[in-house]
Amino acid sequence: MLEESQAAPPWSTAELKPVRPPADFEPLFAAVATTAFGIAVRLTRNQADAEDLVQEAALLAFRAFASFEPGTNFRAWFFKILTNCYFSKRRREKSRPVTSDLDDTPDLYLYARSAETGFPTQGPDPAARLLDQLGTERVVAAIDRLPEEYRVVSTLYFMEDLSYEEIAQVLGCPIGTVRSRLHRGRKMLQKALWQVAEESGIITHHPTGAGE
Amino acid sequence: MSHPLNRTTCEEAFRRLDDFLDRRLSETEMRLIEEHLEICAACTREFTFEASVLTGVRQKLRQLSVPPDLLARIAAEIRAAGESDHG
Repeated sequence: MLEESQAAPPWSTAELKPVRPPADFEPLFAAVATTAFGIAVRLTRNQADAEDLVQEAALLAFRAFASFEPGTNFRAWFFKILTNCYFSKRRREKSRPVTSDLDDTPDLYLYARSAETGFPTQGPDPAARLLDQLGTERVVAAIDRLPEEYRVVSTLYFMEDLSYEEIAQVLGCPIGTVRSRLHRGRKMLQKALWQVAEESGIITHHPTGAGE
Repeated sequence: MSHPLNRTTCEEAFRRLDDFLDRRLSETEMRLIEEHLEICAACTREFTFEASVLTGVRQKLRQLSVPPDLLARIAAEIRAAGESDHG
């Protein structure tokens, strides 16, 4: 393990050997760019910072492209560089203290609260009405409330169909860590969604059954 | 898994909810949960709701567009880096 942790990471400046031309890199990058930008927006919580992050990661990836093995998973390789760029920037900045009241969210939080207030809990797509009323902006706001370790893993999970194994590869952590953070992050997200819905007046505490 | 499931109870099914939704269970376990859901309306409601939340969040988060000039800017930067690196 010690040897692994001491090995040069793929974005290491020790590997800046662009032996392949941009034409080889660009189509691979173009295929993941939209998702990469989406992940970057969720990580940085800011569009301008996300643009800078993707740009920095793309240039770094191009310069480290010699270390990418053709035919392997470019998506996971690039997202690893992207997330490491983000963590690296975060370390350079003064980290914001995180306070969260999302810990210890009970199971089925959204289901139970929806049932209490008359939002649908049955049917083919029972959460659709609540999420549609929330809209993209508020769903994003709910994700943004998660503590960082849960926000990062949830972002990778929701933004792209990455397997647990790929997420573990991107974050350089065990699959069990991905699984536990994801499961806990989902519970936190449900509470955050409900908080956002309450704060924005979507939840008006209808009598039970009124929304069925 | 620590022990094989012969007859899945609500509690056992619920414990596997997240792994079931992410298809992280063995084929046998997936089938046992599916069999349980066929006969348990309460669990089916809960599982369907949870799946619906995940799908909805996924759809909302994926509604995004990249600033039109960002990719062009990055492509230009990469080409410039390629030219300077190759002399």
